[in-house]
Amino acid sequence: MVGIARYGSYIPVHRLDRQLIGQAWGARQPKGEVAVANYDEDALTLAIDAAMGCLGDPPVPVGGVYVATTSSPYAEKQLASVLATACDLPRAIVSADFAGSARAGVSATLAALRAVQAGAASAVLVAAADVRVAAPESELEGVLGDGAAALTIADRGVIAEFVDAASVAEEFTYVWRTDVQRTLQVAGGRFSNTYGYGRDLGAAIRTLLERQGLEAKAIDRLALYSPDARAAAELAGSLGFDVKSQLVESLQSQIGCTGSAEPLLLLARALDRARPGERILVGGYGEGADVLLFRTTDAIAAGRAATPLDRWLAARTPLSSYEKYLKFRRLVEVEEVTDVVTNVLEFKELKQDVRLYGSRCRECGQVQYPMARVCIKCRVPERLDDARIGRRGSVFTFTVDHLIANLEHPLPMVVIDADGGGRLYLQVADADDIAIGAPVALTYRRLHEGGGNRNYYWKARPIREA
Amino acid sequence: MKDQVAVIGVGCTKFGDLFELGYEDLICEAAFAAYADAKIDPQEIQAAYLGTYMPGASGGKSAVSLGDALRLYDRPITRVENYCATGTDAFRNACLAIASGTYDVVLVLGAEKLKDRGGRGLPRFGHPLLAKGNSAPGLFALAANRYMHTFGVGRETLAKVAVKNHYNGARNPKAHLRMEITEDKVLNAPMISYPFGLFDCCPTTDGAAAAIVCRADLARKFTDTPVLVKGFGLAVTTGRPYFDPTFDYLGFRSTQQAAQQAYAMAGITPQDVDFAEVHDCFTWTEVSNIEDLGFCAKGAGPGLVHEGRTALTGDIPINPSGGLKSFGHPIGASGVRMIYECVTQLRNQCGERQVKDPEIGLAHNVGGPGAVACVVVLGH
Repeated sequence: MVGIARYGSYIPVHRLDRQLIGQAWGARQPKGEVAVANYDEDALTLAIDAAMGCLGDPPVPVGGVYVATTSSPYAEKQLASVLATACDLPRAIVSADFAGSARAGVSATLAALRAVQAGAASAVLVAAADVRVAAPESELEGVLGDGAAALTIADRGVIAEFVDAASVAEEFTYVWRTDVQRTLQVAGGRFSNTYGYGRDLGAAIRTLLERQGLEAKAIDRLALYSPDARAAAELAGSLGFDVKSQLVESLQSQIGCTGSAEPLLLLARALDRARPGERILVGGYGEGADVLLFRTTDAIAAGRAATPLDRWLAARTPLSSYEKYLKFRRLVEVEEVTDVVTNVLEFKELKQDVRLYGSRCRECGQVQYPMARVCIKCRVPERLDDARIGRRGSVFTFTVDHLIANLEHPLPMVVIDADGGGRLYLQVADADDIAIGAPVALTYRRLHEGGGNRNYYWKARPIREA
Repeated sequence: MKDQVAVIGVGCTKFGDLFELGYEDLICEAAFAAYADAKIDPQEIQAAYLGTYMPGASGGKSAVSLGDALRLYDRPITRVENYCATGTDAFRNACLAIASGTYDVVLVLGAEKLKDRGGRGLPRFGHPLLAKGNSAPGLFALAANRYMHTFGVGRETLAKVAVKNHYNGARNPKAHLRMEITEDKVLNAPMISYPFGLFDCCPTTDGAAAAIVCRADLARKFTDTPVLVKGFGLAVTTGRPYFDPTFDYLGFRSTQQAAQQAYAMAGITPQDVDFAEVHDCFTWTEVSNIEDLGFCAKGAGPGLVHEGRTALTGDIPINPSGGLKSFGHPIGASGVRMIYECVTQLRNQCGERQVKDPEIGLAHNVGGPGAVACVVVLGH
């Protein structure tokens, strides 16, 4: 049986109230919030956070990693390999990025399903994340939000069996971003929702239902990407679904439209609630559509995400101002922290700095970071083995810095004792303050820029998970 | 080693934002003052040690910086750099050089020109990823917060250290920050790195200090008031305490070890010390130092502070000069400046801030933070 074995999500902590956008421009905005990636987050870091939650600590083995995003921090550089390294997955895996449209998350899931069906791998991780940027005062501002979802497709331990898929591919100009544009462009409205989104996604859904000999009412949960707050409901209604009982409740008033992550976040919301034997239909859209049909198994009850999506939605910090959002997205000029990580240093220390390994002493058992040749405790040389550092810990001591070069202040810094051993000294993400004894999770974040590149390293953040 | 080396002359510039002076000016002012104090012809100096932590545009890289400033050529000069213990370690090396019998007269000079850089604080060096975001106040604050959490100490205790050191420094014509402050001012100052506000932090300072040391048996040829080197110690521990899972963050082993070495060499106990110049880079550091130096038990430092025992009139005056807090902290110069203060106190030349009839004075630096500490004991 091939299907979904594990899933997880990650929503950045900050929310921008649409009323702050409205106030900034003197215009009306609908009620609600959008999720805003922090200044040190981007699509890569969000995908890694979602993947870590999905894979667990230490990670379950997978033979492939697919990352889907339309807002990669890199025009050229594969994110899937970076994610695989940060998640400490084996080197000998298949990896690929899916991009181009918000359909990429569902497309990557379909590709993973086909790869596992074909026997190319017994498990493939899919992570979809987006931090799409709208031009200030544009109609997409207040629509786009940031988030990530991840799932593993596997041939065992399946909580939702893959049943069938249908696809459509045809040019339609709805949203786009040329190679020189920073912000998303849109030709939205009723025309595009009807003749682009509705026509393509509707065709794929009808094809799949017909092939399976199913009527609309046979679908228990419909997880559909929606380019705006209403499009999915309108489409579902026109296809004969009961919107209230069948359509997975939209996330857009809480976090905005999260692009390639959205259909997988809706899938996560469906899996958080589904009973065994339910049919879940997932639909992605962008220059065509991909539709996937799953049926939950008896394993669903025991196989739900450790942290349900609702928990990520509830753990929120409102942004104090619209200007903070502009700064986070570099829509105002900011002075980046600069430093250079040469590829020589990166290569030499990859296991220590990215996979996050220290050493464990064979004599006294002490785990220590960074990797060492002589034990810091018993001082015996050359009796140390590589030791993976756990991704959670607790604060041993801290400071809250107000002056060190950084985009945001105050910046807490912590010395933590990692679960399983090892003491680390890290910047704190997503918090202005921290206390001794506080439990923290490690998160891979943008640290600084230099040499024309972006440099990432681990930070500690307050635990928002269950 | 005890009593084999004597300090025969000391000199010190005014400390402060010396925007109109260069690195070589500072060296010259400190050295010339020491020459005059020792009544010595510069050509009698057989070797020299230069303490500078951070080379800048106007000098500090290698011993050449001292040689060129003083035109002191054709003899051994060594630059010493050992974090904030740079100055005292340069002095320690000079003492060893004399005690080895190789030289009779040696110059020690610490100089630092921090203000030519512009900007605030100290630039950070090191790994681009690991420990990124650290700062001098931030690193000491890690220890302060753990200490305060463990012993239930509040910021008010730290503030008392600042108030006391500013009181002393206000009575020191060479001090950088010559004003008295109140506890309220300390507590309400802008936060730098919690728990340290602006007045919990020493300033970054320009300055230089010099000492001329010679064989003790030759000292009387130069001066009637030689001060003897009783003992010294230097200890290095990890420079990355934040990665040491065995570290309790309640004090610094480097200071404890260096002090033990110095006391053993001097044949004294901490209770024999009449006053001490200790490394108060941040207010908490002084509280921890007086414990690490053995003036009281670990955790009892705040009590000494509250009881006024570390004030000028207390039983163990700490930082009669004003300390780094008020006198200023030109890093490589600070240790030699402490030697200057100890010698001046032991000669009873400190005027308003004079400690009453001291026999034994102690100078202490700790840097890194906690990575390296140096202790020097001086006396009659």
